This record gives sequence, C-alpha cells and structure tokens, in this order.
Amino acid sequence: MANVKIDNVIKRYGSLQVMHGVNVDIEDGEFVVLVGPSGCGKSTLLRMLAGLEEISEGTVSIGDKVVNDILPKERDIAMVFQSYALYPHKTVYDNIAFPLKMAKRPAAEIEQKVTNAAEILDLTKYLKRYPKELSGGQRQRVAMGRAIVRDPQVFLFDEPLSNLDAKLRVTMRVEIKELHQRLGTTIVYVTHDQIEAMTMADKIVVMRDGRVEQIGSPLDLYDNPGNVFVAGFIGSPSMNFVHGKIEVKDGKKAFVSDGGLTLPLPETTAAEGQSVTYGIRPEHIQIGDTGVKMQVVVVEPTGSETQIFAKAGNDLIDALVKDRVMAKPRSEIGFIIDPKDVHLFDRKTEKRI
Amino acid sequence: MQSNRLGWILLAPTLTILFFFGVLPFIYVVYVSFHSWNPFAANPEMIFNGADNFRRIVFDEEFLNSVGVTVMFVFFAVLSELILGYILAQAFMKDFPGKSFFRTIHTLPLIMAPIIVGSVWKLMTTPSIGIIPHYLDEWFGISMNIGTSAFAAFTTIVIMDIWHWTPLVTLTLIAALVSLPPDPFEQAQIDGANKRQIFWHITLPMIAPAVVATVFIRLMDALRTVDEVWMLTGGGPGSSTRFVGVHIFKEVFPKTNYGYGSTISVIVLYLTIVACWLLYVTMLAPRNSKEG
Repeated sequence: MANVKIDNVIKRYGSLQVMHGVNVDIEDGEFVVLVGPSGCGKSTLLRMLAGLEEISEGTVSIGDKVVNDILPKERDIAMVFQSYALYPHKTVYDNIAFPLKMAKRPAAEIEQKVTNAAEILDLTKYLKRYPKELSGGQRQRVAMGRAIVRDPQVFLFDEPLSNLDAKLRVTMRVEIKELHQRLGTTIVYVTHDQIEAMTMADKIVVMRDGRVEQIGSPLDLYDNPGNVFVAGFIGSPSMNFVHGKIEVKDGKKAFVSDGGLTLPLPETTAAEGQSVTYGIRPEHIQIGDTGVKMQVVVVEPTGSETQIFAKAGNDLIDALVKDRVMAKPRSEIGFIIDPKDVHLFDRKTEKRI
Repeated sequence: MQSNRLGWILLAPTLTILFFFGVLPFIYVVYVSFHSWNPFAANPEMIFNGADNFRRIVFDEEFLNSVGVTVMFVFFAVLSELILGYILAQAFMKDFPGKSFFRTIHTLPLIMAPIIVGSVWKLMTTPSIGIIPHYLDEWFGISMNIGTSAFAAFTTIVIMDIWHWTPLVTLTLIAALVSLPPDPFEQAQIDGANKRQIFWHITLPMIAPAVVATVFIRLMDALRTVDEVWMLTGGGPGSSTRFVGVHIFKEVFPKTNYGYGSTISVIVLYLTIVACWLLYVTMLAPRNSKEG
C-alpha cells in the first residue's frame, strides 16, 4: 500500500503536447477515479503511472519514491485493462499465477494464493478453463484475480467495465468496491462513466483536454462544481444550462435568459449586466401550477421517475421528478426552482461565481 | 442442398485439374514403384517385381546417405531461417529510416527462380572467378573450393537456402506479430516479466500456429530441394550434397531407372508426411486438445 503523487506531469508526442501539468495527490488506501470524456488524457495518465508511457516532464511517485525511470515490473503495481488482456493460451489458473511465477515464488505459495483469489472472485470452478471459454464478467474477474494475487502497492484499472453489459456492470461495480473495502489497497480507476465515478470513488479527478478541471469527493463535485464543464459532466441527467444576463428588476437582481425567460436567482455577487450561465439540475426542479411557465415537449416515464423536457421560447429545460406525470406535449406546466439549488457561472471564463 | 451442389460445381474445375495433374500422376508413381522399369535396359518392359524395390531401398547406402545429408541440411537451414526470420520480423516491427525500402528489397530473393539462384551462387563461389572465395582468401586467408571441399559445398548450400528463403519466414512472422493484440504484452510487463520471459511465455505461444505453418512450408520445400543444388554442386563433391531430390533426379534421368526412382519418391513422400505429423503433434496438438 502506498500513496501516489502526480506532480506537474506533462506529456508530449513529438511537438504535440497532450497533457499540460497535471497534479494529483492520492492518499494511501484511497479509491481515486479519473473521469472525463474520451481524449481527455485520463488513460494516458494511468499508463504513465503504470510505466507504459514515458513521462515528458514532471514526476510520478509511488510510496514517496519517484518512479519516472523505473520499469513497470519494478513499480509494484497491478493493472486491469479494458480488454482484460488475458493470456489466451493460458488457463485461468496459469493466468492468475503468471505474476507469481515471474516473481519466482515457491509453488506452494502460488497454489495457495491462486486458490484464495479464485475463491474471493468465485472462479474456483473455472480454473482449468481457457479465457475463450469464459463470459465477459468471468474474464473480468480473472483479470482482477491476476491483479490481487500480487498484493501490489497500487491497483490501476483502465475502464474495466466498459465491455460489460449494463446489468453486469452494476454487479461488478459493487464487487470492485467491496474488494477495495476488503483489501484497503490504493486504487486508481479510469472511466468515462460519471455514474461509476460517483458510486465508487473516495475522490474524483475530472479531466478535460489534458488538464485537471476539478478534484473532490463525489458529493462535493455534485454540490459545488467549479466550472460549467464539471457541472455538466457530473450528475445524470446532466445539468440544465441557460445563457443570459443579470438584470435588476424592482431593485432586486434577477436572471433573464437570452430568450427573455426570467428565472429565480439566489443571493449572488454577480454584477448587474454580467453575462452568465445559469445552471439547475433536473432533479432539483419541482413541477406544479406555480413557478416558471413552460411548454411540455417530451415526457419520458421510467416507472420510478419521470423526465420532462419543456421549453419557453428557445430555452429547453428538463426536469426529473419522482411523481408520475401525465402531461401532454404542448400543454403548459410550471417549473418550481428553489434559488438555493441554482449554480451560476461566468459565461466567458465558465468559472463558478 | 442447393448451396451444396453449387459448391461442388464451383470446385469442379479445380478438382478436375487437381485430379489429372496431382492424383493420377501420384497413383501412377505408386504403381510404377512396384515395377522394374528401365526403357533403355535390355528389357525395356515394365515388369512387376512386388516389394523388391522397397527391399532394395533399405539397403541402398547411397539413398540412406542422401536422407542423412538432407535431414542435416533441413535442420540447419530451417532452424537458421526461423531464428533469422524472427529477428528480422521484430526489426521490421520497429520504425527506422528507410524501413519500407529495406522491407521491399529483403523480399527480392523470394521472386527468383531456384535455378537462377543456383547459377548466381555458382558464379559467386567458383574458385578463381567467384567473389566469395576471392575475398575469403584476401581477407582471411581461407581457401574455399566447393568443388573439392564437402564442408564448403554443404555450408554454401545451407547459406544459399537461408538467403533465398528467410524472407518468406520474415513475412509470415511479421503478419503473425502484427496481428497480436498489444494488451497482453503490456500486461506481462506489469506482471513482472522481462524480455526473455515475455518471448517464451507470451510471444512464442501466441505466434506458435504461424511458426508451425511456416516450418511446415519450409520443411516440405527444403526436403525436395533439387534445382539450386543441381546447379551449384550437382550433388558433389562425392555425395556430400546429394540430397534426396538430387538422388532421385540422378536415379531417374541419367540412369533412367524409373521403377526404383518412383519407389524412392514414394518413400520420401512418406517420410515427409511423418515428419510433418510429428511436428504437428508435438507443437500444436496438445494445446488444441486442451483448448478444444
């Protein structure tokens, strides 16, 4: 077990710079999720941690030791790939035993550790099978087994659940989280799925275009997104954004959208006339006869909740409510917004106000 | 049914050609192998003599010697081609300036007819006019004469075969290496394997089918090498490079011993099949049965 420190890391491919000074501190035993859209550099960062990608500038330390020039095999890490990267010509047993065999551990220890890992992951029945004879979820577990037998300082996961179907993904999510609670090993986990990030992480690192946008606990990012990108990325369905200006009406500041829609505003330091982006999460909107008058566009019932897309002028806003709503398209509906749930961002800098 | 019949119709031309030019001659050779037949002997008739030819072959020292020489040749040539071919394939997997140029010219030997390769190498190795003996003598003081030295002749043929056929091995191994997924190799690095361990535990097992297929092709080709050797040494000096192919050729054409020549051909075919079967069983079959 160890802490990990990523200090001002820069990555260049030739003259093309793809990572622009990333700093992340990971505590010992922490479950950290790197999240962001594809191409944001999260996988590259993980591969630099693993030693599969060279670090152009800056340092990466594992357990207070700078590992920039240390080979992957000497970093004492284990990695689970999106493709699982199982050895197709080896049985499940030999796949899991491989790192131990490479480390020349005694046969009895290998046997005991592999059996133990197989029990934890419910793979005992499949030890003699080959990867091609396993289902996606089982392959995933073999890859995890191969990681845990090493008892590494850090686990690295590169989108390990992306190739699984939705149902299995939820199950494996719980299993990985459970595994972390049981082993207590530091985990760095890459995903593009913000739900995975929210449900599993102790700490989330949101990345975009080779930069860290924000670091924080899942709820912290949800409640206080630092900019428009994080606000839109974290939370599902994603936050509504309306562009507009701060105006003063009857001696009080109010938000008026470019389309002329007036929305409730909390106490704010935003100046009159300032161009802002107004953010409100769908689940924070109540519906009723009062509130902002909107026209229903589409209603999507899912049983447990109902998502309503409605517009006023050109502004499209969706709301997510627990009730079953039988609103007809083009009928009128009231969106009730509590000012305390509103997020305001500067339109130019996209930073939180 | 419909698609089945269509399949046969589409295959018919190939099967017809194969039957007339492959199966029939083969059956004829087997038929001839049970006869004594020399059209220029006192009795030019084809005379059935049962298994006499096969009995004779077991005690034919010239033939047994040629099998020994061939096996040695195949062993050295194919093994070197495999090792060298793998090294070249790995080199071509990396990027270096002029890579596509080298990749193109390194395959040129493949398109040359064996008879031309034989004559060119003959030119290069003929004492007093060949470039190889000349520089061997000038630089190292070694006198090389493939007309008198069995060792020189044999070694030259092995090197010539390596020169001619390594590109084929390189090409098939490049194809195999390119098709490998990168993840298991990165995983193996993380799992603590060094380069040697990655080669033996990951690379080799994963390209094994391609390696075996290549060895099959090379083995079968090398076992029936005739033209290059015929051009270069004619099987000599003595019988030092008298491979089975050359032996059959000498038996059939100058001596017009058709019956006995056919027998040797049948036996060589049998030995080739056995060799390939053994190779297949030892290298691939255990894995297939376990995986299957």
